Amino acid sequence: MLVLSLLGSGWGWLRAEAALRQQLDLVIAGEAEGFLRDYEEFGLRGLAATVDAYARRRGPLLVVLLAPDGRAVAGRLPGGQGGAQPELRGFAVMPATAERPALRVLGARLAGGATLMVAADLTPVDRAASALAWTPPIAGGAAAVVALLLGFAAAARMERRLAAASDAAREVIGGDLTRRLPLSGRNDEFDRLTETFNALLGRIEALMVAQRQVTDDIAHDLRSPLSRLRQALEGALARPREAADDNEMLERALAELDAVLASFAALLRIARAESGVLQQGFVPVDLSALVADCAEIMGPVAEESGRALHPDIAPGLSLPGDAALLRQAVVNLLDNAVLHGGRHIMLRLLPGPVIEVEDDGPGVPADQRAAVMRRFGRLDRSRATPGTGLGLALVAAAAQAHGGKLSLEDGAGLLVRLRLG
Amino acid sequence: MRILLIEDDATTAAYVAKGLREEGHVVDHAANGRDGLFLALGEPFDVIVTDRMLPGPDGLSIIRALRLANITTPILVLTALGEVEKRVEGLEAGADDYLAKPFAFAELRARIRALARRPAGASAEQSVLTMGDLRMDLLGRVVTRGARKIELLPTEWRLLEYLMRHPGQVITRTMLLEKVWDFSFDPTTNVVDVHVSRLRRKLDLPGEAPMLRTVRGAGYALGVP
Repeated sequence: MLVLSLLGSGWGWLRAEAALRQQLDLVIAGEAEGFLRDYEEFGLRGLAATVDAYARRRGPLLVVLLAPDGRAVAGRLPGGQGGAQPELRGFAVMPATAERPALRVLGARLAGGATLMVAADLTPVDRAASALAWTPPIAGGAAAVVALLLGFAAAARMERRLAAASDAAREVIGGDLTRRLPLSGRNDEFDRLTETFNALLGRIEALMVAQRQVTDDIAHDLRSPLSRLRQALEGALARPREAADDNEMLERALAELDAVLASFAALLRIARAESGVLQQGFVPVDLSALVADCAEIMGPVAEESGRALHPDIAPGLSLPGDAALLRQAVVNLLDNAVLHGGRHIMLRLLPGPVIEVEDDGPGVPADQRAAVMRRFGRLDRSRATPGTGLGLALVAAAAQAHGGKLSLEDGAGLLVRLRLG
Repeated sequence: MRILLIEDDATTAAYVAKGLREEGHVVDHAANGRDGLFLALGEPFDVIVTDRMLPGPDGLSIIRALRLANITTPILVLTALGEVEKRVEGLEAGADDYLAKPFAFAELRARIRALARRPAGASAEQSVLTMGDLRMDLLGRVVTRGARKIELLPTEWRLLEYLMRHPGQVITRTMLLEKVWDFSFDPTTNVVDVHVSRLRRKLDLPGEAPMLRTVRGAGYALGVP
């Protein structure tokens, strides 16, 4: 800032000096004009008299009338004509000598070879220019000092806040996923950064929770089918074996494995939906078309089991989302309705958007609704029927991923409401 | 068919190569990406099967390189990563199909067969598909068997069109779920069976030679009996 001020002042000094010089030239020229008119009216003798009178009066300017040989005829120029050239014509600067400061001089050649010189002291001009030039750097210097002081104070405050953020991050790394940073309430840029930082911490927490959930589920609920598989194979090895038995046992083992793998895939899908990572890939989804498609595909499936599907789909509804996940969610709900619901299944798409699947079957008791939406949560009466027990958990995760919610309510039998967005 | 298999896991490679050779195919095997790329660029193959995770350049890089080199051979990607996003990545890189491990060999076999260049009978641009006395007019939206006109629902139409484009080939349930209905999952209910049965009831009337048959343990096939 100081450098800029200095540069600015140098430029300012030049401009001030030039402007002041111009003013001075005008004054000198004005006086010279007066003298020259006297010369025209009264001739050389008359001019000499005027010049002498001016010099005696000690006006602001110095005037001298020179003969062709350079001798002063009237007026005076301190320090002599040393430096004054009788050939002088127009403006020039005469440097300072012992007797006088630098002068700005206007020379005019007259008929007969005489020369009139009108000069002014340059000292006042120099002083004014300097005064004008030096104000900016001084002001700039003062401002710079104040800025530095303010800067130090701000930096110190920033450092404290950064240290707080750093500490919070370290605690999260240490394992406390719930830690967040407080906002200062000042609503400045640092507060906004803090909000973003807290959102980031929230994401990390969600991801880690989802990951832990998957490993928990795998440990807890997939061990059963895998244990059964192991026992069957072990038992087969222990017995004397026959080819026919072998094939049957191997086919059952394969089926058990496939069931486990299907659960695996579903769990991974649910975890991905819950972790929030899918939002990045969201594109506009034509929900009306998607639900209509599902109705068309699942309608015959309902009929084959003696049921009827009644679609009621509002047209033109769309939202940003993951089409594959939404399709699976809708089909899961219809699967459930076909397997466990009543004779009539209503499929509705309403503005919201909201997807409803209502059937006139036995429904789900209110006290079991929460359990049924969890992974591997199944009603006792349904445990024998096909399915992984993960269908509703996936629908719940899909709702969450799209900023909505899944709820089970009373309807003709069961009303499943999938709110999206 | 001449098949290139790029797979670094020795057990999987042996299992797949053996199974394909038993089917009568000629199988070349590369255990890493660079060798696979070298072979693919040097020889003509009918289908390339590559693992996604490979030492050196990975499966998707190889596919991109082949497509840049104007190799249009159909490519199937095998991988332990089954998520839908990964499948889309594979297809965008230039692969034609994507199969998650572990897979049933019947699934791999069916998909390889479906990928091989279409027989002269049905190109993608054709507006009429025929098989025996079955005729599907894609523009006029009319299906006839002999003199009989068949009314199809939209789902049945899509199903029949897919089967007609793969005449005589075994199509698995998973292939139908993915390719006809865009389901990246397996519904609990028997969606595929229901629709195939309905189509069969309309297609193969009693007394007519059955064209749509079930292949036990594998899937379905539409062919001239």
